[in-house]
Amino acid sequence: MAWEVPVRLESEAARLRRGDPAAFEALLERYQNRLYRYLLRMVREPATAEDIFQQTWLRVAEKIRSYNPQRSFEAWLFSVTRNLAIDHLRRYKPESLDEPTATGETRLEQLPGQGPTALEGVIVRERSSRMAEALGELPVIYREVLSLRFEDEMKLEEIAEVLGTPLSTVKTRLRRGLEQMRVRLETRGAASDWKV
Amino acid sequence: MREHDKIRELLALAAASALEENEQAMVERHIGECGECARELAAWNAMAGGLRRLPTPRPRAEVVERTRALMVRQLAAEAERRWDLSLLVFAVLFAWTLTLAGWPIARLLSSGAAAWLDVSFRQAWLGYAAYTAFGWVTAGVAAAILGVRHRAVRRMA
Repeated sequence: MAWEVPVRLESEAARLRRGDPAAFEALLERYQNRLYRYLLRMVREPATAEDIFQQTWLRVAEKIRSYNPQRSFEAWLFSVTRNLAIDHLRRYKPESLDEPTATGETRLEQLPGQGPTALEGVIVRERSSRMAEALGELPVIYREVLSLRFEDEMKLEEIAEVLGTPLSTVKTRLRRGLEQMRVRLETRGAASDWKV
Repeated sequence: MREHDKIRELLALAAASALEENEQAMVERHIGECGECARELAAWNAMAGGLRRLPTPRPRAEVVERTRALMVRQLAAEAERRWDLSLLVFAVLFAWTLTLAGWPIARLLSSGAAAWLDVSFRQAWLGYAAYTAFGWVTAGVAAAILGVRHRAVRRMA
């Protein structure tokens, strides 16, 4: 689909940096679904995701001149989105999300899903699947890595760029995320939904 | 750690295509010989497939339209801000050029009158410089105050 074609052309990047409205509209058309899905996975509330979705594009319009065309545009776009989502989550959970707790994990790592929300409800109804529900219950750092890897099919290096973490951290989160998801699915007795 | 246990720890990442080449080769070699790990990998692959097939939620059309309109407005505001900045830089450079060039031009055009008024070059130049410096400092303070107010207004918006 057209919106899945990444920004690669130098001329396109140059048009964006010049602030060409047509280039921005094409960009919005191309990335709207992916960004919205990523935001939903992060914040889990459609209304909040829509607010941050809007803020993201305004921030992109404001900061596009700081984008370095040598870098991956997608990684830049998703990192702008992520920063806004994380800011929201920090406000929602005012304690420092980065300071390690007694278990050695940061609060951000422990921030749990809180049971099915409107997002999960919609997906479950549409797909009759427990998978989205289980994904929504994972801590945010695992939700986002799984979403970027499997839904957006991003390379691990790009995910590391979006998250601002080393590649090894991305792999660790990916593995733990999958393991936690499997435990949740098995606990629900939903193995038949996904096992071969 | 036995190879079997080591391989089992790699299976989730194998399903995510996140292994190094040598690790991937190890996994492939092992599952050719170990039915238990082969079944385990198949389970991970099925789960990964399920994640890939999750439906993509879409933003509401009115949200996209509103975002598009706001973005175009923001781009226009950014363009105007850049234009204002360019204009300001030009005005500052132009004003300084006039300031620095003003005295020699005034001397050139009114050498006779200056002599008639008995204006000492040194005194007049110092007065002129002090007057200019006062003007610029006042303008700088006013610009700083306006800048702070403008930033506060943008933060509140």
